[in-house]
Amino acid sequence: MSTEILAPMPGTIFQVHVKEGDDVIEGQELLVLEAMKMENPIVSTAAGKVKDVQVKVDDKVATQQLLLVIE
Amino acid sequence: MRQYFEKMTEFGVELNKGQMLSSEKNVADIKEVEAGIDQEVDKVKNAGMPTEKINARGVMTVWQRLEYLVDPGTWNPLHTLFNPEDNVEGTTNVIDGLAKISGKWCVVAGFDNKVMAGAWLPGQPENILRATDLSKRLNIPLVWLVNCSGVKLTEQEKFYANRRGSGTTFYRHAELEQMGIPVLAGIYGTNPAGGGYQGISPTILFAHKNCNIAVGGGGILSGMSPKGYFDLEGAEQLIKSAKEYKAKPPGSVEIHHDETGFFRYVYEEEKGVLDGLKDYMKDMPAYNPKFFRVAEPKDPRFPAEDLYRLLPHNQKQIYNFKEIVARLVDGSEHMEFRPDYGPEVYTGLVKMDGYLVGVIGNNQGWLGEDYPEYADYGGIGGKLYRQGLIKMNEFVSLCGRDRIPMIWFQDTSGIDVGDIAEKAELLGLGQSLIYSIQQTDVPMTLITLRKGTAAAHYVMGGPTANRHNAFTLGVGTTEIAVMHGETAAAASFSRRLVKEKDAGRPLEPIIDKMNTLAQEYHDNSQPAFCAKQGMVDEVVKMSDLRSYLKAFAGASYQNPKSICPQHHLITPRIIKG
Repeated sequence: MSTEILAPMPGTIFQVHVKEGDDVIEGQELLVLEAMKMENPIVSTAAGKVKDVQVKVDDKVATQQLLLVIE
Repeated sequence: MRQYFEKMTEFGVELNKGQMLSSEKNVADIKEVEAGIDQEVDKVKNAGMPTEKINARGVMTVWQRLEYLVDPGTWNPLHTLFNPEDNVEGTTNVIDGLAKISGKWCVVAGFDNKVMAGAWLPGQPENILRATDLSKRLNIPLVWLVNCSGVKLTEQEKFYANRRGSGTTFYRHAELEQMGIPVLAGIYGTNPAGGGYQGISPTILFAHKNCNIAVGGGGILSGMSPKGYFDLEGAEQLIKSAKEYKAKPPGSVEIHHDETGFFRYVYEEEKGVLDGLKDYMKDMPAYNPKFFRVAEPKDPRFPAEDLYRLLPHNQKQIYNFKEIVARLVDGSEHMEFRPDYGPEVYTGLVKMDGYLVGVIGNNQGWLGEDYPEYADYGGIGGKLYRQGLIKMNEFVSLCGRDRIPMIWFQDTSGIDVGDIAEKAELLGLGQSLIYSIQQTDVPMTLITLRKGTAAAHYVMGGPTANRHNAFTLGVGTTEIAVMHGETAAAASFSRRLVKEKDAGRPLEPIIDKMNTLAQEYHDNSQPAFCAKQGMVDEVVKMSDLRSYLKAFAGASYQNPKSICPQHHLITPRIIKG
């Protein structure tokens, strides 16, 4: 089963803390999305392995855009 | 009304392992700031003569007197780092705070007799006025530990005179008495001139056998023959006079107990004075807590240590404000007021040590593209918009009507700006909130969680609301300034940059100035600086916040000037609908 991590708001990717293959636990910070000068930590909603990181630093993203997948 | 309050809605969630893992650095960052504050506090505590030297004279220090005087576990110090004039002594020489004595809340203030025998120092009048204001706001007794050698003569021009100079204290004591608020004073040591009035101005005087209070001291009496200059003959005369008056200082207990009767009591032992104060405090006006409590006190359901993980040290990082509140209030329970309106602001009723209090604070994070409703841009928590300002006005007014003390939390970047915001009446609504606060006449306190910025710092119950704000607390993440340093540098130098560019001159000198200004803004907005300047009344460990809030609630309800019967409260009914 896989869990999609989506952008909750439009903004710019400021930091990416994980790479494909990393094991993560629920609540762990995966990346930081900057919006309106504020940094929004995007946390994992499930434990698992990072499968597919679709963004990199400085990418602009829209609300509900897929950021990465946890498997 | 127990159906409303015994069990309110629970909120907050337990931290998960991922949050614990991701917040390790945050914990370390905040604790590092707290350790720095601890070092500054230790300097204040160790200022002046060593404790052993004072004790060798058979005298207790102010810290030892405080420890004996106040009920264990109830000392909530204020103004410890307050030193606005940057005194070389590192202190204003007044130690004060909120504490219980014999089970009753009071404001306690004492002179540090280790430092120049408790002399008046620059910045001290403002420190003392904060203590008297606190007593007035909370309507609770003021207890003094007087031990004051009078003005530090070499710096008198900084604080002796003026509208808020040292003598203002004596009018404030009279004002408190006029309001029916007792001022008790334990008196030790030599208290000439200003020290004499510190001794005589309280309501009831408890004297140690070796103390004195007088209009002037031996040193002043011996210097009263000016001839325009000093010479050897004059010096010899002064030595003779000083020795004489040192042997017999004016205003001893033989005069002010046996002759004038100013001293109500005289005690052989230092601790006897404190026992006398304790005995009197038993009879100070106070309601039994059961009169006002709406439920039995209970701890929050989550540990206070969570706060180190939930409140980001990084000022730009968002967080969930309600999770902070859930770590501070009884049972982590609340009744939220209008949760679907003004999403940038939290308003709600909570219990603090069994007492009902109102809470207002800034929610954080993205508010969506459709909010604020008057603009074509999205909203972000920390900013104030029309709905949030209206909601705060409503909640403040209701708390005033219901006589509910209020706790404010600030982490605000300011009120929305621009013509669209002006058309939405934000300037007027901000001032309306100030008017609403002024109308309440209920005690308020503020915790500046992170940013206290722009006019939002004023309107959200900040210390400028000084008829209502009893005290303001900072924490390791506090940052107070009119705006961010980089914003200020850009505002100050952008036109200059244009000029230099147009003139073909190098931009580096201006850029250097901008960086300097931005750095100054940063340095002058940090917790220790805020405490030193009095922007906050104390910087408190995250884990100690609840102790202060319990003190605030207990003191506010100890002897309030007006009462709203619980079954007449309207705010919880409006929330329930």
